[in-house]
Amino acid sequence: MSGAGTGEPARVGPPPDPRAGRQRFLVVFLRLAVSVTFVFGVAELIAPEGFRRVLGILMVAMLIGAPLVRVLWLVIRWFRRGDLRYGLVGVGLLGVVSLGAVLALLHVH
Amino acid sequence: MLSLPVLFLLGLATALIGTLGGIGGAVILVPVLVLLGVDPKLAAPLGILSVAAGSLAAGPRQLDEGVVHHRLGVTLEITGSAGALIGALLSDAVPGALLARALAVVAVAAALAGGRRKGLRNRPQPEFASERLGEWPGTLGGAYRLGDEVVPYHAQRLPTGLAAMLGAGLVSGLAGVGGGFIKTPTMSEVMHVPVKVAAATSTFTVGITAATSLIVFAGQGRLDFRAGSAVVVGGLIGGVGGSLLQQRLHPAHVRTFLSVALVVIGIILFVRA
Repeated sequence: MSGAGTGEPARVGPPPDPRAGRQRFLVVFLRLAVSVTFVFGVAELIAPEGFRRVLGILMVAMLIGAPLVRVLWLVIRWFRRGDLRYGLVGVGLLGVVSLGAVLALLHVH
Repeated sequence: MLSLPVLFLLGLATALIGTLGGIGGAVILVPVLVLLGVDPKLAAPLGILSVAAGSLAAGPRQLDEGVVHHRLGVTLEITGSAGALIGALLSDAVPGALLARALAVVAVAAALAGGRRKGLRNRPQPEFASERLGEWPGTLGGAYRLGDEVVPYHAQRLPTGLAAMLGAGLVSGLAGVGGGFIKTPTMSEVMHVPVKVAAATSTFTVGITAATSLIVFAGQGRLDFRAGSAVVVGGLIGGVGGSLLQQRLHPAHVRTFLSVALVVIGIILFVRA
């Protein structure tokens, strides 16, 4: 509470955001992932012939890996905070994606 | 294949529109690429690369805004990714014309469902003013800030939502689109999640759907890295721009924009079919 009679100044404008500071790691990680993917993409377009394929593979690896790291980070966070139900749901999702990777590898071989 | 500057511009424009409406850019990019003469088997992976780039680029800003509901997204994405996996594996078996017509009907139906509703379903509640913003732990509910007020919400009809996400995933894997044009209207109109939260959560989930499809496409050797780089670089810029614009728009404007975009998509898909 705030305002007259409480000894605190009346609040003006929106309340302070209680989310401030939450998920900072994830925000920083995603910003870094955007920058690195962008650099790999631009480099693939301007690099000499021999390096292009490697840079293209790295770019695609970032696009595949970043959302999966995000889910993994959420799963660990939910388990650590006792939110077992959604932690297990996240594990199930990572299992489905892993199954896709296994099937893709079987297709290659 | 088209020139790299054209692919860059297409990637930028479609990711911007896709992120703004939470529909993913590929549902526009893939039909446009095919209409411009690109082989559908090459266009689909390019579309998925565009979706992945737009989703990644929009992530940091949407997290800062606190409008992504991760628990809802991860829950729905289980059937979404399973559908994408099945769709990508079956992508050679379904006739393209039949799929395009079905997509057109779904897009226009979603546009009508969202466009006929006026005003806000989830209204600000003064008694929730001091409530925790973002998603509430252990639930599919949460609250988000609309101007100076707080809007509480809770996702409804989860089984229907899961079934719709399976369909969206199948479409994504089969056609090389993100499936967001099904996911966002489903969350908003069927599950009664505020459209801004639905669009941001959908942008998060299409990144996972795209990752699943990209793994399969990589295994099938269908990724053109040179063309893909041009689309991804454009998509990253468009994704950042779309998320910047999205937070400045009123939910009703986002919904109107989404409905118009879906009608255009439906027409493009029908012409393509």
